[in-house]
Amino acid sequence: MQTRLLILNADPVFQDRALAILDENDMLEIQIVRNLSEAVLACLGESFDGLIIEGDPALSLEQATNMRQHFPSLVIACLLYDRPDSESKVTAREQNIEMLPMPGRARHLRVKLNRFVRTLDSHPGTAAAEGIDPCHSLIGNLNQFSAAEILQMSCLSQRSGRFTFKSGRGNSEIYLQQGSVRHAVFGSLEGEAAVAEIFRWRQGRFYFEEGIISQDQTVNRPWAHLLIDNLQKLDETLELVGV
Amino acid sequence: MRDKKLETKLRLVALQLDNWKKLHDLITYGLDKAKPIVSSEQERQFTEIRSNLLQETEYILRELNIVSEVSGKAMSVLQRGVSVRGVRDLPSDEIRRLETDWNSAFTKLGLIQGQLKARRKQLAEQSAFDYYWSQLRDRFFQRPATAH
Repeated sequence: MQTRLLILNADPVFQDRALAILDENDMLEIQIVRNLSEAVLACLGESFDGLIIEGDPALSLEQATNMRQHFPSLVIACLLYDRPDSESKVTAREQNIEMLPMPGRARHLRVKLNRFVRTLDSHPGTAAAEGIDPCHSLIGNLNQFSAAEILQMSCLSQRSGRFTFKSGRGNSEIYLQQGSVRHAVFGSLEGEAAVAEIFRWRQGRFYFEEGIISQDQTVNRPWAHLLIDNLQKLDETLELVGV
Repeated sequence: MRDKKLETKLRLVALQLDNWKKLHDLITYGLDKAKPIVSSEQERQFTEIRSNLLQETEYILRELNIVSEVSGKAMSVLQRGVSVRGVRDLPSDEIRRLETDWNSAFTKLGLIQGQLKARRKQLAEQSAFDYYWSQLRDRFFQRPATAH
């Protein structure tokens, strides 16, 4: 299976050192975008294992932080033309963004990029297991019903059970109890961050298993609050792409 | 196996085609009489795409060895289409010329992309040894090189 990498590079024709190296990798499928709104649009429409943002430290970090807010589970690295200052390094660490200053030698750059690509291969979000049991009480496709619609319907009817969402980004689970979201998990994300991630999925399948209750509780807010917050976040994301 | 130069050419032609498509979308919008409003955001996008094309076209066409065939047509499109509103105000013969030149540039780039993809597919089925052996053999017997 190919690793899908999104590259945000404002000048991919003339600043193509990294691109030339990544081109050599047979197992990599690359999509290049030139600005933030194109990157957001690409991430909304398709699933990527990672994002590399090339450019000056300040701008790259700003774009990466923006992407992190809208796509919490995305593996992001900034490939920097200059060395970042210590403040930028701290921000990057907090936002779980990898900073890769671009070395002068092609060999060193190749090592850095290959190391980053290898981390994507082992990322839990990339494993997309398929297979749905026809005995599940509710089965559907996210192309037809969004996660928000399905959860809204289940919460209004006071359901208890487990929703499993399967897409190219990976598998995630949301546990409901008496019409409230009790626990959500997606890869390393838990709670509201996981719910926010699932809200953005536009492709994939889901099923509901009645009566499965989680022992863990990572979501404490009522469904209505989660819905409003996440729809607002989604609107902000769509605003970035001018949809 | 993968040919580094071929991959670079494919990347360049894909980027170039992407910009030509976006430019066409905005030109089509500009020419659509049913859509009277042209936003400043659309004008900004048009300027950005035009600027990318002005910077990159000559370089990419040279890399693809089609500069003499396409450069004139490409420059004609970029000189006629200065803005979305500007395209709207062009006389009808100029619009026809713009569309014809855009189509010529786009068709040639599309054909080149197809040829490069076919070459990549061919190479993917070849081992590194086969590839270098065929290169040596071609040089030794002075066979004409394949177009890529």
